[in-house]
Amino acid sequence: MTEHTVTAFDAELKEIGRKVVEMGGQAERLVIDAVNALIRRDTALAHRVILLDASVDAIQREIEEKSILVIAKRQPMAVDLRELVAAIRIASDLERIGDLAKNVGKRVLAIEGEYHPQKLVRGVEHMSDLVLEQLKEVLDAYAGKDPAKALAVWRRDSGIDTMYTSLFRELLTYMMEDPRNISVCTHLLFCAKNIERIGDHATNIAETVYYMVSGETIAEERPKADISSETNVAFPGHVQG
Amino acid sequence: MTSAVDPTFNIASSVAAKPDAPPAPTKIKVEGLNFYYGQNHALKNINFDIPEKRVTAMIGPSGCGKSTLLRVFNRMYDLYPGQRAEGQVLFDGVNVVGKELDPTIVRTRIGMVFQKPTPFPMSIYDNIAFGVRLHESISKSKMDERVESCLRKAAIWEETKDRLHTSALGMSGGQQQRLCIARTIAVQPEVILLDEPTSALDPISTSKIEDLIDELKQDFTIVIVTHNMQQAARCADITAFFYLGELVEVAPSDVIFTNPKQIKTRDYITGRFG
Repeated sequence: MTEHTVTAFDAELKEIGRKVVEMGGQAERLVIDAVNALIRRDTALAHRVILLDASVDAIQREIEEKSILVIAKRQPMAVDLRELVAAIRIASDLERIGDLAKNVGKRVLAIEGEYHPQKLVRGVEHMSDLVLEQLKEVLDAYAGKDPAKALAVWRRDSGIDTMYTSLFRELLTYMMEDPRNISVCTHLLFCAKNIERIGDHATNIAETVYYMVSGETIAEERPKADISSETNVAFPGHVQG
Repeated sequence: MTSAVDPTFNIASSVAAKPDAPPAPTKIKVEGLNFYYGQNHALKNINFDIPEKRVTAMIGPSGCGKSTLLRVFNRMYDLYPGQRAEGQVLFDGVNVVGKELDPTIVRTRIGMVFQKPTPFPMSIYDNIAFGVRLHESISKSKMDERVESCLRKAAIWEETKDRLHTSALGMSGGQQQRLCIARTIAVQPEVILLDEPTSALDPISTSKIEDLIDELKQDFTIVIVTHNMQQAARCADITAFFYLGELVEVAPSDVIFTNPKQIKTRDYITGRFG
């Protein structure tokens, strides 16, 4: 795109874009670390995730302040205005992603020393892989200003929701199999929900990237497939009705 | 450069698409308009509709033809030899560009306010009454009513009611400009053309004029030329972007300023050239 007549304006927009990419990298790293801490029961790593969330919060404040200043100074229009609004919105989603990763980190500390067969976390691990892929793709879509890629991320969110619903059933089943699993599985359910919410924020970012580049909102209805709130599992031996 | 206006775009219906806006009929229809300053081809095949009782802004870099078009609307160019218009500007279906129409009649129905306030060197009262006396013969009490009503409509009555018979030249720039608007509406026009009406004013006076524009569109069709894009975004229902004598894009202002369709429009409003 042609440069602005005021070159400082270009520099300011680029700096904000760079900050968003940097914040995306940090949030992604937190999610990776939080999931690894959960899988490996690594409490030191979990502590690090909890501590590092503060730096994601700090960068969000920085992006907001810089964007507000540019709006005040330059009165941006059209694509410039959309870029700044997108930066503020994406920073807010990334901040929430950092919080959710931190929540997973806290759960790792809570289940430390509990009876914890490794098979219980397999499903969470698998779902996390999908969510991380979504997060990586949507951050690439932002950096590359690629609306097609953003749309692809947006369409894939229902896969994560479906997986969360099936994980919900799986964890309930483990709890019924052996009551010693109940504590860990309950924490794992919260972790799974946090990770599923990270996927939702990646979808929000996809919508924002699409709007930022095209100026249009995605016309389709948002795919939703988390039906865990309507899911129950029959207790063995219990006759329903 | 070819004109890139979407041929299917209909301003009246797009404004009407807003739930709070009733459909607006076309007040001025520009058809195949070309304008020449001697050899200089200043407006090239302009086609667009100005909806009634709406604010239409014309934006573009200096020399793009927006002020020229404004001057065509009320036949200002007639005053200068060597300037000519071809094509049609249909005002309620009547071609105002044609020689058959008396320009003074056009100008009573299409009033104009200029960049710099131009009060006459006479009292505030007479600034309003002067134009009215040229067209109508009305009693003193009716004239008093007209002066008050125009000053009220121009949001300047409170500031002037105790000094109606003092010179208008003693007013501030912002007050003078609102007086000029009052003077324009005194002859009961249907359209008000505003050529950069706030470029010589401070921010407070500018806000008052913008507020006034919002009020006046209840009764008048308003066309404003402005270099201040935020002003166009704030005041106008429709914005038209001109470049090098061509109409590049015309659309509802909320579209033009958030998601323009033409690259030239985008580059201009985002400060990438001009």
